[in-house]
Amino acid sequence: MPPRQRLLGLWLLLTGILLFSGIGLLLWLDSTLTLDTTERAAVWLLCLLPGVLVLVLGALLEKRLFRPLRQFQVLLARLVAAPDAQSDFPLDGWLAPLQPDLDQIREGWRGDRERVLVARNEGAAHAAYIQQELEILLQVLDLPILICDEHQRLLLFNPAARTLFHDQPALGLGRQVSQLLPHASLGDALRQLPADGSPRQLLLPGEARWLRCELRKLDAQHGGALIVLHDTTHELEAGQRWRRALAELLPRLRGHTGSMRSAVEALLQAEDKLELKRRLVQAINQESQMLTERVSELTRLVESQQLSQSSLEDTWSNDLFRALQERLTAQSITLTAIGIPVWIRVDGPALLAMLEVMITHLCATLKTPSLDVEVLLGNHRVYLDLIWSGSPLSEQLLSRWRDLPLFDDELSPKISDVLNQHDADLWSLIRKSEARACLRLPVPSSLRGALPRAADTSQERPEFHDFSIAELPPPDSVQSHTPLTRLEMIVFDTETTGLNLRGGDRIISIAACRIINGRLLAQDSFDQLVNPQRDIPAASTLIHGLCNDDVASAPPIDIILPRFRHYVGSGVLVAHNAAFDLLAVRLAGDECGVSFDMPVLDTLLLSRALDPTLEGHGLDVLAERFQLIFPPGTRHTALGDARVTAELLLALLPRLNARGVHTLEDALALQMRVELESKR
Amino acid sequence: MARVLIVDDEPNILLSLEFLMQQAGLEVDTADTGESALAKVAASPPDLLLLDISLPGISGFDVLERLREQPATRALPVVMLTAHGREVEKEKGIALGADDYITKPFSTQELVARIQALLGNSSRME
Repeated sequence: MPPRQRLLGLWLLLTGILLFSGIGLLLWLDSTLTLDTTERAAVWLLCLLPGVLVLVLGALLEKRLFRPLRQFQVLLARLVAAPDAQSDFPLDGWLAPLQPDLDQIREGWRGDRERVLVARNEGAAHAAYIQQELEILLQVLDLPILICDEHQRLLLFNPAARTLFHDQPALGLGRQVSQLLPHASLGDALRQLPADGSPRQLLLPGEARWLRCELRKLDAQHGGALIVLHDTTHELEAGQRWRRALAELLPRLRGHTGSMRSAVEALLQAEDKLELKRRLVQAINQESQMLTERVSELTRLVESQQLSQSSLEDTWSNDLFRALQERLTAQSITLTAIGIPVWIRVDGPALLAMLEVMITHLCATLKTPSLDVEVLLGNHRVYLDLIWSGSPLSEQLLSRWRDLPLFDDELSPKISDVLNQHDADLWSLIRKSEARACLRLPVPSSLRGALPRAADTSQERPEFHDFSIAELPPPDSVQSHTPLTRLEMIVFDTETTGLNLRGGDRIISIAACRIINGRLLAQDSFDQLVNPQRDIPAASTLIHGLCNDDVASAPPIDIILPRFRHYVGSGVLVAHNAAFDLLAVRLAGDECGVSFDMPVLDTLLLSRALDPTLEGHGLDVLAERFQLIFPPGTRHTALGDARVTAELLLALLPRLNARGVHTLEDALALQMRVELESKR
Repeated sequence: MARVLIVDDEPNILLSLEFLMQQAGLEVDTADTGESALAKVAASPPDLLLLDISLPGISGFDVLERLREQPATRALPVVMLTAHGREVEKEKGIALGADDYITKPFSTQELVARIQALLGNSSRME
């Protein structure tokens, strides 16, 4: 029986017993004693009082204590089950004063739960942010990285790992590491990793390559591990080649030296034995020749080893010049990078220090605060030219410069040390292309740069459109009479989804570079991908290499075109087969309210005007005809084509000048004449 | 007079060594391959063999091994001559039974001193 009913039964039993025994006592007293009315009333009261008292007391306890207690119990149960439910039945009876305390507990608890929830959400957001940061970090790391769980299944890998294992289908999330790297030693090492996260090194030999890996446990509780890989095949092979060559060469050197020494000692003791003396001298002569050859071999070996081991890095020439300008600004020297930038392979810090010293001396010698600098592609090297108007420097002066220290320190390397490191030298000459002198420094070129794409010539742009640049308004008189060599020109190029511009083809890339005072500024360029908001046909991707994914995150033309218009400023536009590119920007301009009414020069028309008898005025043909050298991969990108066009224009300028075409007005008149003749 | 057989494929060093050894009071014979050296040893054993390691055909190590296999030449003093400066080759030469080891380039004085020390030892042993 539940306690409440037992209590109720006990109460009713007690009440009954007391009442009945009171009535029994009353009847017995009434029959044995002779009582008057008052006495009888008193006896009645005394006999029934205990029973009535227990009855009333029980009822009172039930109402004021037990029922509120049961309600309290229900409230607590409800609070636990549904903490946020409102309480509609406040406590009454003797427990009524507990109600505010209960409400306070309820509110306090609710507040705590809200704070926990907020903290949990913040924590989760922070963890997600850190995870995102880590993922980005992993994505950009050049080091191949794998992360696996305690069962050695792949949880994560980065693009560098994908590149490393590009030929292996076993690289996939959830796959066993052993499928990818079937080395028992790796499995054992992963199982026995120290719990404190300290790394273990392992070399995994393979048929095609040797991988060095560093393993460490991610956390002690779970068995996950981080595997950082490093392909050491090339290093090991290079080391082996060097050691093998050295191991072959050194004994031969020792042998010849030994023969020579013995011969000299014999010669010293030969006295009057003339025939022996003659043969010994012959032997010494032979051995010394062999020795010379071996020493030359050794020198070449050491030099090639130094070159391969020194920290020559692929560097973008514009980045090098920008860093150089920062150093030279303190000395009020201005450096202007001109021409087409290229990748070079240099020890950046050493070359920067050397160029700084050299340019400081050069500017002091020439008494000029400014120089031009250009990189030119040579046969196997890149020429870094420091250019000035005047005469070349003497070799005598340059040989003194080679001994200049890079820093004010006794142990400082000299200019010649950096030259040796780059297997380079320097000399001064008059540049072929212009009557200016330069100091030429040949440095190793980089293999980097996209390979030239095979252009699909069937898709050559049509040369004439239903639009003519001759229809553009004439320039103002000041601009008209400005010599071409002093004109600010913006050379630009576009890539489009196709050739039918009026039929819906759109710009997907637009790029430009600036020519000022007859020099192409290497660091001043505009280069922007554009989302055409339509699909790029595969045929057009073949030409420019751009596909839908490349432009998916690029801004649309109405964002780009005003920026391009701003870049053009008050300059004259230049393009090759300009009618096409100009039509492309003008059609887009009509849609977003940007106008292109400035004068436009067309290198195609100018070239045709200069050489009307020659066939072929395409950019590739002209680049070859004018021996314009540019890095592989330059062509068929908007910026690459713009730069080649700019170099072409600069090559045309002296010839235009020779034909009496000096000003913008002259050039516009010339190209209009050619255009009209062609149309006829 | 003690007789030394010099084995080397470099004619220039043979020419010089032959004269220098003679000046040091030794009787000298020369051979330019391992095979001819073995033939000469078999025909008339010298008192000491100065043996270059790098020889065309059978190497100096091979010659040394064959000499040590024959009871007649087991105790013949052999000085190895090498252009390799590697410690491991010296160890290998000594392990195969060479009595001394000298690296090119060397001073003749030192070579003669070592040869005479070996000749002294072997004559005392006899």
